[in-house]
Amino acid sequence: MPLLGTLDIVPRLADAPKLDNYDTEAWEIAGVELLSLTFEIDDAQMTSALPPALHPTIPPVAYFSVAAYPESPIGPFTLAQVRIGCRASALPRGFLLHAYSDSPAACDALGRRWGYECRPADVRVRRYHDRVVGTVTVDGRELMRASLVDPQPISGGSIFHVSTMNLARADDDNGRGVLVQVDPAYTFHRAERGTPELTMFERAAWNAQGIEPVWPVTATFVRCDTGFPRIRYVLDAQQLARTGTRKLR
Amino acid sequence: MKFGIFYEISVPRPWDRESERTVYERALEQVRLADELGFDQVWAVEHHFLEEYSHCSSPEIFLTACAVQTKRIRVGHGIVVCVPQINHPVRIAERAATLDIISGGRLEMGTGRSATWTELGAFCANPDDTKKTWDEIVRCLPKMWTQERFSHEGAAFRMPPRAILPKPYQKPHPPMWVAITSPGTEIDGADRGLGWLGLTFGGLEEQEKRIAEYRRRIKVCEPVGDVVNEQVNTVNFLYCHEDDATGVATGRRLQGTFGYMAAQLLSAREAYPTPSYPALGLLPQLRPDADSPGDSVRVPDGLCIGSPERIIEAIKKWESVGADRVNFLLNAMEVVPQKEVLASLRLFAKEVMPQFTKSEKAEPATALAGT
Repeated sequence: MPLLGTLDIVPRLADAPKLDNYDTEAWEIAGVELLSLTFEIDDAQMTSALPPALHPTIPPVAYFSVAAYPESPIGPFTLAQVRIGCRASALPRGFLLHAYSDSPAACDALGRRWGYECRPADVRVRRYHDRVVGTVTVDGRELMRASLVDPQPISGGSIFHVSTMNLARADDDNGRGVLVQVDPAYTFHRAERGTPELTMFERAAWNAQGIEPVWPVTATFVRCDTGFPRIRYVLDAQQLARTGTRKLR
Repeated sequence: MKFGIFYEISVPRPWDRESERTVYERALEQVRLADELGFDQVWAVEHHFLEEYSHCSSPEIFLTACAVQTKRIRVGHGIVVCVPQINHPVRIAERAATLDIISGGRLEMGTGRSATWTELGAFCANPDDTKKTWDEIVRCLPKMWTQERFSHEGAAFRMPPRAILPKPYQKPHPPMWVAITSPGTEIDGADRGLGWLGLTFGGLEEQEKRIAEYRRRIKVCEPVGDVVNEQVNTVNFLYCHEDDATGVATGRRLQGTFGYMAAQLLSAREAYPTPSYPALGLLPQLRPDADSPGDSVRVPDGLCIGSPERIIEAIKKWESVGADRVNFLLNAMEVVPQKEVLASLRLFAKEVMPQFTKSEKAEPATALAGT
């Protein structure tokens, strides 16, 4: 049996969003710009950052992303996320540590509908000729600065975006917490790859104490159609994914 | 149809001083028995850093032990990772030639390029380049083995003239194979006159199409070496038991465990966007329909698990789609007790093997280029 997450769920549930229900309508959004960085992380925290339902990847990795959604039912918004690479049973996933958005309405909606633990911040993604830069700032304090350096065009078909697992509370979770699988489709219109640079990462602001990026893997920047689908699966956060998964539709 | 066995050397946690030694000793016992029973080949992979899944980073040493403890079974070095950051091409040629000598000319040489970021990233190898470097290295290996002196100016490596020693025992050189996982690699193999060393489990219908195309292409190949190897060597699980239900249940546990462990690794395609790795690795072949972690593990067609009768039917299917050889994974994470693995091998040899094999002697599957 591979290693399993050891995160103590109970304290984390206090800040986890409460789902309205599982009957969330999909948001399909065109023209999304998405910057994503992958780093290998120190193995000291490879299990303690993940709930007991999930396995760490070998080697452990973290995903840092900043996206701009030009439209949605609650208007345009940006979204920054830090996730830990993992496996739900045998399937590649990213467990969300925390998210920020420039839209309080988006924070609220993403939390109630898909379980994103999200707070307001100034979240921006900007493309320059030599790099793409994503920043997250609160009250003038930078919480993350993530860059793709030297962008080179690639095929979007080469990019693999892992689905997200969000820790949330639900009416029927018996106080154990649920992991909401958010698995959007992507249609790529433009894709670039480059070198990842993480020059600011305020770990405490991301529930990422002890998470140490130690080795750059890659960075991508894409323009795509994607969104937030209907919830198809939820998992018991404290039970092995293979047996603790519930299919909703 | 010939049969072989192959090893990942998976070592389950918790690890203590004896864990790896136990797995290696059990593997060697299985190899000795397979040799006695008439299995044709034993293969060992080369993997690095793949915790639990594979502790087989120096397969040439394991295979040397296999060679000296057996009499007839051929030793499959494969696949050797033909990525210069992981193995300098000269060292590949030297080690392989030595193994061929020690084994008395029983070496089968498998080539490949690794499919995980876990390995490529650790050796600072660029996933974009591995197809190119594999191509360069497989073209050089036969020259290193057959030319008195060898020199090279290439993208993967360069070197002044040197006598690369020793030379292989088999003349002109050992049979060469390429690992087939990503779609299209079978074409690369056919065009270069390399044998098909399949690393995907099951999927008979898809394999049939690919094998047919391989057969067509290899007829007009430009071989990289002095021999063409046009054999199709597939991989499968083996658990053979008199009681079909017991055999299937244990075999599914073996298959499920292997798939589960393979899935924990970070594939090159997942970590690093590149057209060089269009497939995610073994996982999609094992679970093409799964999108939920709760989905049951799909059992691909043609698995060799269950009663002898069921396994005979499965092998006939493989035979009908064009496979010449089947290599069996006997265990994963030691989920099958050693006693049962040995019993399964014996029962297979007694009840299944006679239906397909007549040859007394293990032989390489090659023809001189141009013949």
